[in-house]
Amino acid sequence: MIYALAVPGPIDDVEELRVLQWHGEPGTRFEAGEMIVELETHKAVVEVRAERPGVLRAILCPAGDWQAVGRTLALIGDDDMEPLPPPDAAGARFDVAFEVT
Amino acid sequence: MSTERVAKVFFAEAIARALGEAMARDPRVVILGQDVGRFGGPYREFAGLHARFGDERVRDMPVAEASMVGVGVGAAAAGLRPLVSITYMDFVMLGLDPLVNYGAKLRYKTGGQLTAPVVVKCTAGAKGQGVAHSQSLESWLVGVAGLKVVAPSTPADAYGLMVAGLADGGPVVYVDHKRLFPTAGELAEAPAPVPIGRACVRRSGRDVTIATHSYMCRVADAAADRLAADGIMGEIVDLRTLWPLDISTVAASVAKTGALVTLEEGQIACGIGTEVAFRVREEIGRMRVLRLGAARAPVSGNPRLEAATLPRPDDVVAGVRRLLDAKADER
Amino acid sequence: MDRRALLASMLAIRAFEEALARHPDAGFQLFSSGEEAVAVGVCAALGPHDQLLSSGRSIGPALARGLDPGVVMAELLGRATGPCKGKGGRGHLAQPAAGFFGAHAVVGGNLTIAAGVALAMQMQRTGGIVACIFGDGACGSGALHETLNIAALWKLPLLLVCDDNGWSISTPREAALAPRSPADLAAPFGIRAASVDGMDVIAVRDAATALTKHVRGGAGPAFLACDAERFSTHSTATRETRSREAMEAARARCPIRRLAQSMRDEGGLREDALATLERDAADAAASALRFAERSPPTDIDEIRRDVD
Repeated sequence: MIYALAVPGPIDDVEELRVLQWHGEPGTRFEAGEMIVELETHKAVVEVRAERPGVLRAILCPAGDWQAVGRTLALIGDDDMEPLPPPDAAGARFDVAFEVT
Repeated sequence: MSTERVAKVFFAEAIARALGEAMARDPRVVILGQDVGRFGGPYREFAGLHARFGDERVRDMPVAEASMVGVGVGAAAAGLRPLVSITYMDFVMLGLDPLVNYGAKLRYKTGGQLTAPVVVKCTAGAKGQGVAHSQSLESWLVGVAGLKVVAPSTPADAYGLMVAGLADGGPVVYVDHKRLFPTAGELAEAPAPVPIGRACVRRSGRDVTIATHSYMCRVADAAADRLAADGIMGEIVDLRTLWPLDISTVAASVAKTGALVTLEEGQIACGIGTEVAFRVREEIGRMRVLRLGAARAPVSGNPRLEAATLPRPDDVVAGVRRLLDAKADER
Repeated sequence: MDRRALLASMLAIRAFEEALARHPDAGFQLFSSGEEAVAVGVCAALGPHDQLLSSGRSIGPALARGLDPGVVMAELLGRATGPCKGKGGRGHLAQPAAGFFGAHAVVGGNLTIAAGVALAMQMQRTGGIVACIFGDGACGSGALHETLNIAALWKLPLLLVCDDNGWSISTPREAALAPRSPADLAAPFGIRAASVDGMDVIAVRDAATALTKHVRGGAGPAFLACDAERFSTHSTATRETRSREAMEAARARCPIRRLAQSMRDEGGLREDALATLERDAADAAASALRFAERSPPTDIDEIRRDVD
């Protein structure tokens, strides 16, 4: 299955964030607990970690891009091979944990 | 089609960029105030500056606004170009003697021998912090001869007005707003200058002029969206500089729309809107006008009370409707 | 500065104020008479790269700093030839090019300003220091506390001089200030302080010299409290509150008579020399007054100039 990695939230007092750094590239496999991406708010950094294993399949918002809470940043798959749907068709959210530092 | 490069930045980043460039260019520019050093400013608006320029040029001061302003003004008179950072506009009150009685009057009282090229930056606005940490006091300052007052509402203007303020003969009070710091906007790589004393039309419309500044520009914009759904097209004029006011831009808009709503977060009594309305009337004659601002009460930190005390988009919508429904000659 | 120069400087201030006081257009004035030794003694320790700030009691400090008496008189009488074009008057008299950064009429209002000037000079590495003269009436203000604090924290090159004439207009110092001496205010901040007889110009000069040496060395600020007497009312707009006996006791401490007497005792001043010096001072004051009277009044259009 292909999931949408969305900007997590709600984060108090935050509407949109800037993508700071991806900790992988298409094909990278993440285990539970590993950091996938860091996002920047106006006052803090948000660390987004996988809650279960997955493979990063497509980055839709590269570092430097902006995205709003709840909107899609990337596509995550169970494996590396399943064909990708059109970007706006990805359904379920990929489960992440996030920490505002 | 413009080929200039732009980047989206947070409001605070625009301020930090303006200061970083000014400090790199001019060794006289220093930052004095509360939490400006390693902390990088209460809203991170000075992030990275202490690391770049060190203790000598980015100095934390004790929580004593009279000395923050006094030292800043005195240092400016003696050749530095300080930015004084006062975290809450409420406490500019503690620095009013050095700001008003020395800074604003220095050029005049010394017959031009001394000037005070200082920018006093303070953050206005209500955001749940209570009656003494929520005020918008810009209107108190525009009556002080010798003082300039600016209030950016976007990152581009936060940058441009900081650049202009630091280059000005001063003193300049730079008023930003708590609720603007979470916002973002475009800032060009080579931004066009934003002169002090120039308003701009943020949104075009033909039915009503909303003259406003700072965070209230965003409230006006949300109101304009709702009005547009009903076919009422509001034109938003962002004052940007509160003294000297760019009345001709507001007047040109009102000459077109025939109706003026002034909107501020501060008090209406002797507020910015009162000055704008009267002077626009002097320029274009009789017109329909309504002033909107805070209710006449302190602004409680209780979120429901705070929200009810300050103008919200629906209040602006209701005000515009009231104004447009009234007979043209009645106001 | 030798004794004759100190004497002449004090005489110049006294004569200037006497000439001004007789003038029908004198207006609202604060006189330094009696307190000349404070300004003259402090200025004897200042050099061309230093800056002096004062309170609204500015005539003594301005003249002691070496400003031309003619332009000072012009400023006081609202003439275009004053250094502030007649727009500041006595309360805001200034000539920074001559080392007099300026007077400020707000009680305690020049203190944080002086700290700022000192910060600029410290960063500019000019080697200059700042001296700020203020009255005991400013000692109760938060501005002094804040100035002492920041000056100590940043080791600012600042000499704070309290011209303590014992009165905040009608309130005696004992009722206005809890510490016994203004100099006691410096100790909590670790600031070097000294207290001197402000009617003894030699003592003031020597103490100021020692303290400015400390400040010039980069060791931080210093505080000099000078116990002085004012011979007039606080201002021309205030009533006298002291008894005749108290006034006589004050005048008995006259710094000019005192220095002249000590010079005579040491054989450094001939009998008729003081009279000659007094006459010279009166002539200079009269000349200053003539210059001011012949100067054009400040142009009314100046209202619109130098505002922004």
